[in-house]
Amino acid sequence: MKNIHNLVLIALVFVSVPCAWSSPAATGEYFVYFGTYTGFTYMKEGLPAGGSNSKGIYVSRFKPATGEVSKPELAAEIVNPAFLAVHPNQRFLYVATEDPLSLGPDFDHASYVSAFSIDHATGKLHLLNTLPTGGTSTCYLSIDKTGRYVLMANFGSSSVTVLRIKEDGSLGEQTAFMKHVGHGKDPSFQSQAHPHSIDVSPDNRFAVVSDLGVDKLFVYRFDAASGALSPDAPPFVEAEEGGGPRHFVFDSAGKFGYALHEMSGFVAVLAWDRASGSFTKLQDARTLAPDFIGSSDSAEIAIHPNGKFLYESNRRFRGPNLWGPDTIGVFSIDPVKGTLTEVEQVPPQGTMPRQFAIDPTGAYLFAANELTGNVVLFRVDASTGRLSPTKTELKIDVPVCIVFVPAHQ
Amino acid sequence: MRPIRSVFCLVIAFVLAVLAGPAVLAEDNDFFLYAGTYTGFKWVHHSKPYGLGESHSKGIYVSRFYAATGELSEPQLAAEVINPSFLTISPNHRFLYAVSEDPLSVGPPLDHSSYVSAFAIDPANGKLRLLNTAPASGTSTCHISIDRTGKYVFMANFGSGSVSVIRVKEDGSLGELTSFIQNVGHSVAAIQSDPHPHWIGPSPDNRFVIVSDLGMDKVLIFRFDAATGMLSPPGPPSVSVYPGGGPRHFTFDPAGKFGYQLSEMSGVVDVFAWDAAQGTLTTIQRAQTVPHDFFGGNHSAEIEILPNGKFLYESNRRTLSETERAPDTIGVFAIDPKQGTLTPVEQSLSGGVMPRNFKIDPSGKYLLAANQISNNIVLFAIDSNTGRLSNTGKEIKVDTPVCLQFVPAGR
Repeated sequence: MKNIHNLVLIALVFVSVPCAWSSPAATGEYFVYFGTYTGFTYMKEGLPAGGSNSKGIYVSRFKPATGEVSKPELAAEIVNPAFLAVHPNQRFLYVATEDPLSLGPDFDHASYVSAFSIDHATGKLHLLNTLPTGGTSTCYLSIDKTGRYVLMANFGSSSVTVLRIKEDGSLGEQTAFMKHVGHGKDPSFQSQAHPHSIDVSPDNRFAVVSDLGVDKLFVYRFDAASGALSPDAPPFVEAEEGGGPRHFVFDSAGKFGYALHEMSGFVAVLAWDRASGSFTKLQDARTLAPDFIGSSDSAEIAIHPNGKFLYESNRRFRGPNLWGPDTIGVFSIDPVKGTLTEVEQVPPQGTMPRQFAIDPTGAYLFAANELTGNVVLFRVDASTGRLSPTKTELKIDVPVCIVFVPAHQ
Repeated sequence: MRPIRSVFCLVIAFVLAVLAGPAVLAEDNDFFLYAGTYTGFKWVHHSKPYGLGESHSKGIYVSRFYAATGELSEPQLAAEVINPSFLTISPNHRFLYAVSEDPLSVGPPLDHSSYVSAFAIDPANGKLRLLNTAPASGTSTCHISIDRTGKYVFMANFGSGSVSVIRVKEDGSLGELTSFIQNVGHSVAAIQSDPHPHWIGPSPDNRFVIVSDLGMDKVLIFRFDAATGMLSPPGPPSVSVYPGGGPRHFTFDPAGKFGYQLSEMSGVVDVFAWDAAQGTLTTIQRAQTVPHDFFGGNHSAEIEILPNGKFLYESNRRTLSETERAPDTIGVFAIDPKQGTLTPVEQSLSGGVMPRNFKIDPSGKYLLAANQISNNIVLFAIDSNTGRLSNTGKEIKVDTPVCLQFVPAGR
């Protein structure tokens, strides 16, 4: 019996080897990774921030052809993986772990960034290494176009940092550190600078930083040879006073930039001069109804792969325990002028849609509702941009980030 | 002709080698003295014009110091670098690490990082060869030190209120950031609206790291893991100095039993008992360095203990009025060998203006005072019985000298 057993095993290995050798066959399927808060060990910004049962990063298998999504499984155990970014070669995932060891004043321990390799068969993540981000409350990270640097926005300590990515995908030395100095109009949220996003330009020559605390969009020259950032001339463009710029996106042609303001809910539409790295304001698009009284707390912004529609999420708040109405706003983009026209505002089927993501085929939008712990799948109408909720909903504790990676057989 | 000429050259080379021999195979008390400087700022520093744009310094300077005779050679440029305002030497004496304070800053709303550079020391002539440069992960980085194993450098980032640790690779060059801690807090004076770490260094056994925070009026203690380079809060409890004091520089006594914290604004030296097992500091004494009859402004700067452990030295940058400086002094204190407490011996004039830094030579016979404004480094002889300083009248001229370090020469 034993010999037969071995023979079967050998046969299985033999059969499976050609699959392993062949270039990974695209299945048309994706792994969807969900970043979460697993809980804080102290009071976060004056609020108790525990209560999560999440254990780290979760992964589901997603078939865009049918809209099927598998039940999320733990892909990697890790504290507060609040933001994720995928390497351009799709082999590595980078994760900001927000303040995992912090205890509150007198000091605040760094946030960390971890590099993972992706198992393309199972979607499981294998930890490569972990290093300090060089700042606190790191809330955003992105990868440059060459895949050799990870750029981070450190909300808590008012800085942006860049770390080198080595050939094997692991993280190396710090190559840039920039500190923002100042404050904004709102004494509670803008008493100091708070960089909230950092992204390279489509040509990889510049990096744009949204600073929620000082109401500015900083433009840095980015040197992909050294990983250094240096201030552009002019070094920033003023955003709306008290607006709190949070997330930023370039259009696919690299002609326009869209800055979502968390506090005012406005989207600033900017013309991007890619030669000089400068912005010219074209439009302030309102995402809130004019008669709405309360705070907008707008969060995420993304453009549909077809370049025709822009989506942004709003976590609205009308007073103590008066959440909502939360929405995902849909806007059509003027192909020539870049300006926005509202199409609709859609309820996200949950509370606090801090993040959403459109799948790479453009067929579906995943909305992550932080407070209700659900991720809801919406069908996207590619010709009108409109969203219609499907019956598909995933339960994940405190979901705050979504990214896609092609799955192999 | 050609062979003869070659032989002649060989002979000359041999003679030169013999002549150069004694200099290369140096005596035990032959040192390189490195002087870190400000080369000038592109903008006002800490929102105040400090007049530092006037410096003609080009970087780090080196002088040869013969401790047997007190001879000091003419300083030479060892490495061109912007604002090398603090230096530290690897335990094996092969590498020097220099902070480069805010070399590219343009002022608010953005402040460029300070940098740290690694240099290899040429044992023959003291010249420095750049290995690499990395961001310090903070702004206005004002202090750097190295752990006891030589594998990590510690930085205090005064401007951005953080401390950072960077790995040192086998070849002496700088690697990745291994730790980062943002201090959070404030105290009573105007400059204390934010945390301002001013000094960072390892405990004698390398298991803890001490941070003096001028903005928080606190001495923070972190556990240090030399395997990973991580600083781990919570460490042992921090200790506070008198509000408004402004802890600036710290030192352990050579036996590792006591800690001495100099506060910049108050001029107080807090004397602590150091519990090496627990990593705790317990206050023993608050020693005043400012004379009771002095009513001007005080900015104490550097603190150091004689290698024999008997005397403590600390420098004071004083002003009588807005425009009138003086008297700038180096205070001498006797250390009680059992209690660790301080008794004043004397306040000696520093031989120049603004003694921001000084250094006792490794033989313990001399003290060199770096006067930042008068651009001179003055040699004092130390009386090892009384601790008293006497100005030898010898000095070297270096523009804006702000940090001194010794390295044994020729080995």
